[in-house]
Amino acid sequence: MTRQKQNKFLLLLLLVILPIAFVCHFAAGEISISWSIFSDAWFFFDSSNTEHIIVREFRFPRFIMACLAGSALSVCGLMMQTLFNNPLAGPYILGINSGSSLFVAISLMTGISIFQSDFGLVSSALIGAFIFGLIILAISFKVKQGVSLLLIGLMLGSFSSALVSVIQYLSEANSLKMFTMWIMGSLQEVESGQLPFISVLFLFGMLGSFFIIKPLNAFVLGETEAELLGISIRKIRLLIIVFTALLTGLITAYCGPIAFIGLAVPNLVKIIFKTQDHRILLPASLIIGALFLVLCDIIVQLTAPWIPLPINAVTSLIGAPMVIYFIVKRLAQ
Amino acid sequence: MRIKNLHIGYIKTLLEIEELNLEPGKVYSLIGANGRGKTTLMKTLIGQIPSLSGQMTFNEKDLTTLLSLDKSKLFGFVNSRFAGVSYMRAKEYVALGRSPYTNAFGRLSAIDEAIVDQSFATMEIEHLADKFTEELSDGERQMLAIAKVLAQETKYIFLDEPTAFLDYSNKKKVLEMLMKIAREENKCVFYSSHDLEMVLEFSDVKICIAKENNQVSINSARLDLNFLLNICFQD
Repeated sequence: MTRQKQNKFLLLLLLVILPIAFVCHFAAGEISISWSIFSDAWFFFDSSNTEHIIVREFRFPRFIMACLAGSALSVCGLMMQTLFNNPLAGPYILGINSGSSLFVAISLMTGISIFQSDFGLVSSALIGAFIFGLIILAISFKVKQGVSLLLIGLMLGSFSSALVSVIQYLSEANSLKMFTMWIMGSLQEVESGQLPFISVLFLFGMLGSFFIIKPLNAFVLGETEAELLGISIRKIRLLIIVFTALLTGLITAYCGPIAFIGLAVPNLVKIIFKTQDHRILLPASLIIGALFLVLCDIIVQLTAPWIPLPINAVTSLIGAPMVIYFIVKRLAQ
Repeated sequence: MRIKNLHIGYIKTLLEIEELNLEPGKVYSLIGANGRGKTTLMKTLIGQIPSLSGQMTFNEKDLTTLLSLDKSKLFGFVNSRFAGVSYMRAKEYVALGRSPYTNAFGRLSAIDEAIVDQSFATMEIEHLADKFTEELSDGERQMLAIAKVLAQETKYIFLDEPTAFLDYSNKKKVLEMLMKIAREENKCVFYSSHDLEMVLEFSDVKICIAKENNQVSINSARLDLNFLLNICFQD
């Protein structure tokens, strides 16, 4: 079997695991629900039946959000790592999440009613992500060294979190509570009615990313080389920032800032598939990102009766040792 | 490719070339002390830096109006060092040279695959195809970088100090290969170098930048080492 075929086979295998993950995720919920009720909830829905409502309004949206958030953040991380030619890049580290947090804080806590709607929340998260993405991009023209760029991203993050604290101090108890819940990160905030809207934006960002696979492959060699291969780098840079801001902003708006996935999953994918070809890396990040967050959420659900862990804590708790293990293993070879 | 009254530099003119024709099948070497504008000259020729004034034409067509995709099919460029990319195999790297020709998703056609294989064969490095670029030696990586530019199928190949990081036998190997490519594939090869003895042997036209006044002289005749030393490196 050629290497390309092996990789495609592995991708397919991972795709098959996704339904299994769904079964585990569904079974891990605190209230156990049988599979016959699960199918009844879809085909013979009874709005007075609590279990039906749990299936349709809680379990299913939560699983879908875990998949969407995991894959969106992983793909964003991959694109950031390629754009900045740095394996440590990711939407969280570069401060793109912080942009969303800052703008959500402003919109939630200023008390202007138009911002408190769903639409207001999403658009402020998107605008925040996009503005911070552009700031990082602008700085990256001046600062060529990858490490300095990451430091600047971290500075942006702490600067905006300081601003957020000031806003929190000045705001009322009610909106403060809303914001605090949001920033802890949760996959349970989404109602089934919101899923179509979220999926459409997700698909838009994801399809966009798939259409820049070829330039991404050239960007791996650095921007100068990419230009010599006929890629218009200004356009592609902007597109990467637009798609990243869209996906990160969308997920951050509904699930809060989720750390670590964007950094860990793309590195994991590169270690597993041993390639720099985005025709493999992009779909692999998408699937493994989804699997990773579903796995984390299964753990959240299983431990929920004893300790209510925020999803943010679990991603780092599992992800960090995993990445360290893979890196050490790779260096040992 | 014809160059006429070309002024090169960033704000002030660094170099001036009155007339130069770059012809296929020939190897051009560029010699000059550090900081004399060798790299600037090459980057101007491939259109990465705008020239200050003058003309550059290819088949009577003004090169400055060329789109970047068309440029990438005409000019190939090799840096003095390719450090390798983690997780990238040699074949993947050379295949990127096909980017100007592949479809929107970068899928290699059977023809593209054949050209990539041919580039490995021309450089006589088929045995490296499955290795990771990070694991290769500097000499092997330089051969690989040239294979990539061959896969790009450009009429002109520019190389910025391609021998700078190589040991003696690899320097010789790379330059012999460049001569072979120019002769057998009918390409125009243009490289800069500080390895004067080798430049004398492995190039048809020597372009010298004089240290005293930055005058550019173009020499097709056989030169000797003392002449080069006198012009390019003596104050």
